[in-house]
Amino acid sequence: MDGNLPRAATLESLLEPILASAYGVALRLARNRNDAEDLVQEAAFQACRGFHTFQPGTNFKAWFFRILTNCFYYRYRLKRREPETVDVEDAQELYLLLKATEHGLVDHGADPASKVLDKLGEEHVAAAIGALPAEFRVACALYFMEDLKYDEIASILECPVGTVRSRLHRGRRLLQKALWQVAFERGVAVPQGTEQP
Amino acid sequence: MSDQPDRYTCEEVFRRLDDYVDRELAEEETQMVRRHLDACAVCASEYAFEADVLDKLRGKLRRIDAPAGLLAKVSRAIERARSTPPEK
Repeated sequence: MDGNLPRAATLESLLEPILASAYGVALRLARNRNDAEDLVQEAAFQACRGFHTFQPGTNFKAWFFRILTNCFYYRYRLKRREPETVDVEDAQELYLLLKATEHGLVDHGADPASKVLDKLGEEHVAAAIGALPAEFRVACALYFMEDLKYDEIASILECPVGTVRSRLHRGRRLLQKALWQVAFERGVAVPQGTEQP
Repeated sequence: MSDQPDRYTCEEVFRRLDDYVDRELAEEETQMVRRHLDACAVCASEYAFEADVLDKLRGKLRRIDAPAGLLAKVSRAIERARSTPPEK
């Protein structure tokens, strides 16, 4: 009997409950279903190869997500350098609130962002996060798809907590700007007074 | 420094808003922000909007169904890793 079998079976049993989460993060990183599936499979392959380094009793999900993001970065570097579709320097704080206020789209009830965001589909939000430069996309994908604290994301990305904080805060501003552009282009955000009945 | 020692100013809250939304502030800072938000309608509305944006984005982004055959594909990837000699 192959001595690795019990260890590999354990890997599968650890992977199964987190597979949907891993696929969700992979989809936000890779931006399409086929590439996301490939990414998860590649991560599983690498996880099997490196399973001897996993310490039983520690956070398997964080360990696997570290491999997943490393696989993403590896694939990303193999492919052509993607053009950055967002102006990183030009995204002010509270961007969406400022634009929504300007266009009379702030709801003063319990869901203040509903007039801007409720009409945007999942595909629009996914496209906006997919358009973020890679380092922001990775931090935001982990942040939005999982309920992770900054230090947990830092552990996955093997970087300082301050770097995660900076990427998340900035990434969210970029995301808000991108979402506003999508909303405007799709006619969701129509200047007050010109809206059709 | 804040004029009132038990709460931050608007500017101090503004600088901490992202961390507050993410519950990443220390307990004392959290209380200082909370007391300001209780007293300042403008900052409270900024906080409510930002928190609502993040909630809505999470909700939309998490609407994903993993492909039915993914587990089988992952199992095959693991089998492949076990049967392929590591690269030197």
